[in-house]
Amino acid sequence: MGAGTHNEDVRKPKVSHDGVKRHLVAFIGSLVLTALAFISVAYEVIPVSFTVPFIVILAIVQALFQLFVWMHMDQKGHEFARISIFAGSFFIAAAIFVFIFWVWVGA
Amino acid sequence: MSAHASHAPNRSGLWDWLTTVDHKKIGILYLIAGGIFFLAGGLEAILIRLQLIYPELSIVGARTFNELITMHGTTMIFLAAMPVIFALMNAVVPLQIGARDVAFPFVNALGFWLFFFGGVLLNTSWFLGGAPDAGWTSYATLSLNQYSHSGVDFYVLGLQIAGLGTLIGGINFLVTIINMRAPGMTFMRMPIFTWASFITSGLILFAFPAITVGLVLLMFDRLFGGNFFNPDAGGNVIIWEHLFWIFGHPEVYILILPTFGIISEVVATFSKKRLFGYSSMVFATALIGFLGFMVWAHHMFTTGLGAVANTLFGLATMLIAVPTGIKIFNWLLTMWGGQIRFTTANLFAVGFIPTFTIGGMTGIMLAIPPADYQYHDTYFVVAHFHYVIVGGMVFGLFSGLYYWWPKMFGKMMNETIGKWNFWLFFIGFHLTFFPQHFLGLMGMPRRVYTYLAGQGLETGNFISSIGVIGMTLGTILFIVNAFVAAKGPKAAADPWDGRTLEWAIPSPPPEYNFAQTPLVRGLDALWVEKMAGNKGMTPAEPLGSIHMPSPSILPFLMSVGLFVAGYGFMYHVYPVVILGIGFTFGCMVARSLKDDPGYHIEPEEIEGKGVKA
Amino acid sequence: MATHHAHAVLPDEPEKATLEGKNKILGFWLFLGGETVLFGSLFATFIALRDQANGGPTSQQLFDMPLVAAATLILLTSSMASVMAVLALHKKNLKQLQAWMTVTVILGLAFLALEIYEFVHYTSMGHTISASAFGSAFYTLVGFHGGHVAFGICWILSLQLQTVKKGLTVVTAPKFYVACLYWHFIDVVWVFIFTVVYLMGMIGGKVG
Repeated sequence: MGAGTHNEDVRKPKVSHDGVKRHLVAFIGSLVLTALAFISVAYEVIPVSFTVPFIVILAIVQALFQLFVWMHMDQKGHEFARISIFAGSFFIAAAIFVFIFWVWVGA
Repeated sequence: MSAHASHAPNRSGLWDWLTTVDHKKIGILYLIAGGIFFLAGGLEAILIRLQLIYPELSIVGARTFNELITMHGTTMIFLAAMPVIFALMNAVVPLQIGARDVAFPFVNALGFWLFFFGGVLLNTSWFLGGAPDAGWTSYATLSLNQYSHSGVDFYVLGLQIAGLGTLIGGINFLVTIINMRAPGMTFMRMPIFTWASFITSGLILFAFPAITVGLVLLMFDRLFGGNFFNPDAGGNVIIWEHLFWIFGHPEVYILILPTFGIISEVVATFSKKRLFGYSSMVFATALIGFLGFMVWAHHMFTTGLGAVANTLFGLATMLIAVPTGIKIFNWLLTMWGGQIRFTTANLFAVGFIPTFTIGGMTGIMLAIPPADYQYHDTYFVVAHFHYVIVGGMVFGLFSGLYYWWPKMFGKMMNETIGKWNFWLFFIGFHLTFFPQHFLGLMGMPRRVYTYLAGQGLETGNFISSIGVIGMTLGTILFIVNAFVAAKGPKAAADPWDGRTLEWAIPSPPPEYNFAQTPLVRGLDALWVEKMAGNKGMTPAEPLGSIHMPSPSILPFLMSVGLFVAGYGFMYHVYPVVILGIGFTFGCMVARSLKDDPGYHIEPEEIEGKGVKA
Repeated sequence: MATHHAHAVLPDEPEKATLEGKNKILGFWLFLGGETVLFGSLFATFIALRDQANGGPTSQQLFDMPLVAAATLILLTSSMASVMAVLALHKKNLKQLQAWMTVTVILGLAFLALEIYEFVHYTSMGHTISASAFGSAFYTLVGFHGGHVAFGICWILSLQLQTVKKGLTVVTAPKFYVACLYWHFIDVVWVFIFTVVYLMGMIGGKVG
């Protein structure tokens, strides 16, 4: 397809080249979220009954950061990527819910 | 760098089949292998029903009986049904979307060989100390070392290998359907069988990892001293049940959704009418697929989950009947007012509709938790699932095979033999499984190797065993028909006056499927062109050189590596494990290092007559 | 499939420039969806069995916060390094790409070394796969993750080696892109491991 290659100068990339900033922000953000989680467990700054939901939410937020920024899941062309990850997460969340309340707690 | 490699490699005979990456040949491989395993599962069924034809027989002993029921279920579901479904998906889906092959032809071949060797490993158990005997569901603690012999190791390892093949097959079809549709074919212009294959592939993607984990945990318990299911060390057997059924329920939808797709295609073609309610059919299929993940604990009502869980899962199960009912009405409304032709394919499709409905109805009965306390573990359940799996899925597969046989093999199946095939199988099926509802209601438990006289169970069991004759003869006639067809006349490109793209190309198609990728102008793409008075599809591209992927022996070799490693695991011979897995990894590295330039088919070699320049 | 002459300029986003590349990226995302269910099942099993130490050492007694924090930091930084590698890929700078991938691999090896040390230490304390259900669940979940890290390292190394000869092309670019997606994913899984296994296991126990 030789004809196509001449359009390269005109073709605009979907990802902007000064994207380092977004990724560094995600990195710092992940470090902060991680530190918060560790500190909240190490020093018991939060009542214990809240600690578990707190660190789980921190984990989910960090995962979303990494999926959407580092793995470009927020960009066009990633519709099926999103469906795939959300569907997998949804189905397994249902299973985890059952395991927590009917297997762990019930045991 | 020129990617213009040499012409098509000159391969023939066995080597051609061992190295092929062509979806059409892989489809035939799946069909042959699945067919052979179907016969094995059928033989196991014959022995089961023979043992149960009269009370207190000793044709087979108790342990052998347990091995037979385990292998019958495992073989039929994993090694017969799923491969034949993959056979049809491989043979048909790329053609229906106007593509030249699937997205990953090498991975396609790998998926086949993994299934094949996983199935072979499982069946060598008969000769190596005994087949698994803990049921196809292999519940712990029965399936642990303490209570069962080495047979279960074959189950654990064989299914992991075969399951890996299925998983990568699912991913392959998803990418193919998303990325490789012909120009003009939007999602809502895809044929309904392709939609069904698409949603099924999604189910495969999300369901198979759960069983893989379950099998790994069971393997760790059996081979490495794990304690997942060992209550003495804190393990919990319910974990196995959850993981198994989180897979197992979507699995049965994996079996039936492609069948629904087949029925939709066949009924529409042989009513000479478009499918009634296409959009609602697509939506219903997607909804069934999604809900299929939310109902798994209806297999576990009696395990003590409690009223809340049972209620939620019972309600969700009943909910699935709604989209399923939509489908049934749509099939009936497709036929209403149509010019119906009862070809063999259509006989199986029309036979499917009431039979599957009966199976679905008993499913609703089972979905009621308090009622299920009575039905659970009786022949009522056995009757239900055979109605939906055999009366549903198997009828549908026969329908699809008769329908697409000309496209796959270029020969027409004989209609007279086909009708005898249908009626013998249909009558035999109902004779076998209808009485089993009543045996269950009368209290006969399942998985028992015999029963006592004088409990009212003799008549039902007798009739049930007689019905096997019909199904056996019907199956034999199918095989006979395949041979008769091979000797018979060649098939036309479009023997049924079809509506979809696969009928626009010769039977069987040339290696490259479409000389020129077609332009799709609407749903039922070929019918749109026929109604506009055209003889064929309008091409979407000029005639050019076609790039084809090269054949490779690596998929075969990689599967052999895992096959060998499997034996190493179960006999605790770790050098063999390292050898096998190392060999497989070595093949993967080789594949990565050496890029495949493929080969080209030049326009002069393209045989299409009347191709537009 | 597009053929490229050696002296033509590499297109922007070379990993997506061919149908083959697009298929590989989509296929890999779908595979990651399946891996979500795979790891999720292992998590569900771990949660169910987390308290079943069968008289052996419990999570409070075993886990050491500085070690886990160090491992987390190492893996997170290696994931950031692979982000830089993909940015180099988009700038079509092979040397930078190779440099960042090397950093990724070194950090990955450091993570594995720490984990192996950790596991050996635990076995000396009586925490093994066969000692209890908790032990089985712990080693299976965390071990599978470690196995994924090891596989990823081998994968990236093989890509680095072959690119020395083949250069950055529309064929090798998707391979790097997909390997980096994989590497990010195993860091996402680790986020949940340190949260659900280690931090939740250290609540109410000794600190540091």
